[in-house]
Amino acid sequence: MIRILAWLLASSWTALGLAAQGVTIAPHAVYIDHRVRSGSVLLYNPNAYPVEVSISTLFGYPVTDSAGRITLRVVDQPDTASPSAADWIQAYPRRLTVAPLERQTVRLLATPPPGLADGEYWARLVIHARGGQVPITGVSDTANIRVALPLEVRSIIGLSYRKGALRTGVRLADLRGRALGDSLEVRVRLARQGTAAFVGTVRGELVDSAGGVRARFAAPLGVYYEMEPRFSAYTGPLPAGRYRLRLVVSAEREDLPPEVVLPAAPVRDSVEVRVP
Amino acid sequence: MAVALGFVAASELVGQGGRPLSVQGVRPLAFGLILPGVPEVVLRTDPVKSGRFDLSGERFAQVELTFTLPGQMIGPGGATMPLLFGSGDAGYSETQAIASQVAFDPNQRFVATLSRNGKGAVFLGGTVTPGAGQRAGSYTATITLTVAYLP
Repeated sequence: MIRILAWLLASSWTALGLAAQGVTIAPHAVYIDHRVRSGSVLLYNPNAYPVEVSISTLFGYPVTDSAGRITLRVVDQPDTASPSAADWIQAYPRRLTVAPLERQTVRLLATPPPGLADGEYWARLVIHARGGQVPITGVSDTANIRVALPLEVRSIIGLSYRKGALRTGVRLADLRGRALGDSLEVRVRLARQGTAAFVGTVRGELVDSAGGVRARFAAPLGVYYEMEPRFSAYTGPLPAGRYRLRLVVSAEREDLPPEVVLPAAPVRDSVEVRVP
Repeated sequence: MAVALGFVAASELVGQGGRPLSVQGVRPLAFGLILPGVPEVVLRTDPVKSGRFDLSGERFAQVELTFTLPGQMIGPGGATMPLLFGSGDAGYSETQAIASQVAFDPNQRFVATLSRNGKGAVFLGGTVTPGAGQRAGSYTATITLTVAYLP
């Protein structure tokens, strides 16, 4: 209840505020089962102005760059081997106007190709929101130059289409950690196992020789193929010595309904971290 | 009345599983009155003129931010005015405080982590360079922020 009220207060403030653009979107990840072949997304306009929305799809999935940052790899022309659902997921309506303080449901209908093999197929929903024109004051004064740059918002959320019995898991390799200033930096290689993306949470802790926990971190994780993410946690000043970095990756996500998170055994690893 | 409607909508959205994802363009980047031949700079730390987007979602969620920035604005009779976004013209703040930003290049994608409360804000500045004979009138162009929810 506190969470709802807090969110409500934030929305109300925005509604009373400036010529804002954008809509609130729920859920932030869509899962469609082959037996149902449909889903929905709820849009809410917390603003005092109508918002024009258009919806499209693309194929993409999270990867990591050389620095370990998780980014979205967008594939404009996926080949036939790619598990793309982008071409056969349709939004209804694809264009709509959401009135101030109103909500609207967008239906998602899947029309997969005949003979679709069992597996998980991915797409990303692109929700493009445009607000009303931002007024430029003093327009009638043609002796002046006036400029204003209105803002538009594209929100991209994940969509997974599942057919048949699926299994997932993750393999860890090359776990390493190092003290960097007042923080712990962690890198690890993750490889998805099974027939569906691994969706879960990574948790880590740094333990000193006396068993005291000096740092903790946790982050949501989605491993579609392979990645090598970087995590960090504040440690404060660490005395020189040997520490143990412990990592566990589990198929748990507090932001997703449990029924859409595929089960998998937790995976653990640990490594020594030396602070000179 | 507005509050009552908001409460219903908020409840439904939260009930969808997880905290809803919201990206709001709160304030346009505004240069105001421009003089011909005089460049005008808006800092990302300007509390009135800088552009601002507010983000909310699941706590500690990672989001990829990508700007689509115009190189010029269009004005009366198709007149144009150059627009420049430098490597430090964007900033991200977990606390949504304009004074505590981490600078980033708006011409490159940036991965941000939402706060413990699932909040964040993006600020944008820029420079407009009108010519000495710049035609008077209103100029505009659209800035788009793409927010990809990860993972």
